Amino acid sequence: MPSLDSLPIGSSARVAAVSGTDATSLRLLEMGLTPGVSVQVVGTAPLGCPVELLVRGYHLSIRRTEAARIAVSA
Amino acid sequence: MPHAASSSSAASAAPLAVALVGNPNTGKSTLFTALAGIPTRIGNYPGVTVEEKVGRFRHRDHTIELIDLPGAYSLVPKSPDEEVAVSVLHGQMKGVAKPDVVVVVADATNLVRNLYLASQVIEVGLPTIIALTLTDLADRKGLTIDVEQLATRLGCPVVPVVAPARQGIDQLGDTILAAASAAAPPRPELTPHLAAVDTSYPPPARDAIARYAWIDALADGVITHRPPQPTLSERIDRVLTHRLWGTLIFAATMLAIFSSIFWLAAPLMDLISGGIDAVAGWVEGALPEGAIRSLLVDGVLAGVGGVVVFLPQIAMLFLFVAVLEGCGYLARAAYLMDRLLVGVGLSGKSFIPLLSSFACAIPGIMAARTIENRRDRLLTILVAPLMSCSARLPVYLLLTAAFVPNVAVGFGWLRLPAVVLAAMYAVGVVVAAIVALVLSRTIFRGPPQPFVMELPGWRWPQAGVVLERVREAAVSFLKNAGTLIVAVSIVVWALGSYPKTPPPEGPNVTEAEIRGDALRQSFLGRAGHLIEPLVKPLGWDWRIGCAAIASFPAREVVLGTLGVIYNLGDVDPGEEEGATELIRLLKNARWDGTDRKVFTLPVALSIMVFFALCAQCASTLVIIGKETGSWVWPTVTFVYMTVLAWLGAFATYQIGTMILG
Repeated sequence: MPSLDSLPIGSSARVAAVSGTDATSLRLLEMGLTPGVSVQVVGTAPLGCPVELLVRGYHLSIRRTEAARIAVSA
Repeated sequence: MPHAASSSSAASAAPLAVALVGNPNTGKSTLFTALAGIPTRIGNYPGVTVEEKVGRFRHRDHTIELIDLPGAYSLVPKSPDEEVAVSVLHGQMKGVAKPDVVVVVADATNLVRNLYLASQVIEVGLPTIIALTLTDLADRKGLTIDVEQLATRLGCPVVPVVAPARQGIDQLGDTILAAASAAAPPRPELTPHLAAVDTSYPPPARDAIARYAWIDALADGVITHRPPQPTLSERIDRVLTHRLWGTLIFAATMLAIFSSIFWLAAPLMDLISGGIDAVAGWVEGALPEGAIRSLLVDGVLAGVGGVVVFLPQIAMLFLFVAVLEGCGYLARAAYLMDRLLVGVGLSGKSFIPLLSSFACAIPGIMAARTIENRRDRLLTILVAPLMSCSARLPVYLLLTAAFVPNVAVGFGWLRLPAVVLAAMYAVGVVVAAIVALVLSRTIFRGPPQPFVMELPGWRWPQAGVVLERVREAAVSFLKNAGTLIVAVSIVVWALGSYPKTPPPEGPNVTEAEIRGDALRQSFLGRAGHLIEPLVKPLGWDWRIGCAAIASFPAREVVLGTLGVIYNLGDVDPGEEEGATELIRLLKNARWDGTDRKVFTLPVALSIMVFFALCAQCASTLVIIGKETGSWVWPTVTFVYMTVLAWLGAFATYQIGTMILG
């Protein structure tokens, strides 16, 4: 399953699962990136990281390493 | 019945404790100001560097104490801010009353995610109210919220407010009074949703997923979207976070802020120094010469001046930070700069504090308050003093003008003094990067810190909130750091003035020679002799060592001290005449009992490198102590910077001597 960091800018997908058991993974879930939710990659910072997401109607910025924890499906 | 009457009046006299809790960027500060005005108490919670803000207001003959809790996304704490929020809500915070009522500030433009925290707060079991903020923005975003239906489903009152316009504020007050005697809302029923969650997730993750499922079900039919169209906020965002345009606008904004704290604050700082000088002149005229006058002028007034002079820069920086924070650009700045700083173990949020430190480390270190993550914040504070601040500039300029030959290097237009000056700034940045990298891999090593950061919608900053931030920063600097800085400068004055020895006598002894002799015989002068073996490898004689010690309160003092110690009397290195005099004098200084000149190019460079890297600024160390709530970190800063400064100066002198002979 592709992960969120591999999505091109402008594309949307659904969150399938968030891996990891630490505080970072929990924070991603708490910010609303739960399985089934629709997420769009809005853009990236000049050096390619972090990425800007549109999730649950608001803009969220996360690093690529964090985006890699999120598996997505079309 | 007199007994009952007295007990009921006692009950109405005890203020109602109300906690204000909410996600960051929900307009919580604006709501606090609308309800309670200027806070009655601002400080730190015991043992942590989280700000405690309490206000008081009266509503229909009841006194309400409003406790503004730090912004939190979740009550499963991941930051000191969230830990404080949790312990206040549970009545476990020492010195803070257990809240009678909790007001959850929820951003209507982003209600679902805000309800996450709200549902956790409801579980605490206190009477709870939802204050729905930014409803005007939600409306423009095409969102309609059925407030009554939301209140029914949550089982608690929901009050829409537009805090800047004071809409709904009275109603919120009434609801708070009513809630004080009402029951807590029912706990969210997560069990059926938990059953549907994949059991491979750990329990806290399962709770989070089930909670969102519960919120999604609750919000269904409560929040309706009109057909989505790009909002103004999104259109602005497209330009401002654009890889090219966004970066250019960012660079221009930062340049504007940096030059304002550097140049716009200068006239105000001159005005303050001028005022202090005028008072000093008046004291000198009013009091006879002696220890008291010297203490007042060179100890107390010099100390007070050294404190107040920072105010313009602090006020200006916090004005910019508050405006950027208020309109949502602070988060974008961190977003744009993160990749660059993460490479050396910092985060995007370190950028503004570090940039400001080029003007002055004190406002820079205070601006690190905007970094929620404790590890990132500490690292930023520890390396901020390595940025070459404006107090180093006179030292660089004078020594460059005096000892660096004005020859062209490489291209015709590039002169050696300019290269040396740029190199001094580069030394600070490079060393800071190395220190941050090393610290983040050693004592600050740990699991990766999340950089999960909301990019809030664009909105107009609220003047009241902005001014409050500036006032708060100025007051906390004066109150917390000011007194200690004055104390340090009095101690250094005493070390430079005692013990008193008989002045040299003779027909040709000048005032300047008497002052020079007094300093050389003082504790400070003796300390200079004592540390001579330590500073000799840097190419320094004991006088430079002594001037370096005397400059502990502030780096720029080193030039004045050199003037006194070489019998020049009081010079103002800022004045052209004083500077030329000082340069002439330094050029003629000889090692005791020899003909060998003290100041050569390698020695001048070694002094400059030392001052680029050393922690000779008592105010910075005091501010680090206050901001971190511990004397460990200023000690660490002083030790590591002094060691690096010595090593840097040593290498500069030794290599310089090797090359130049």
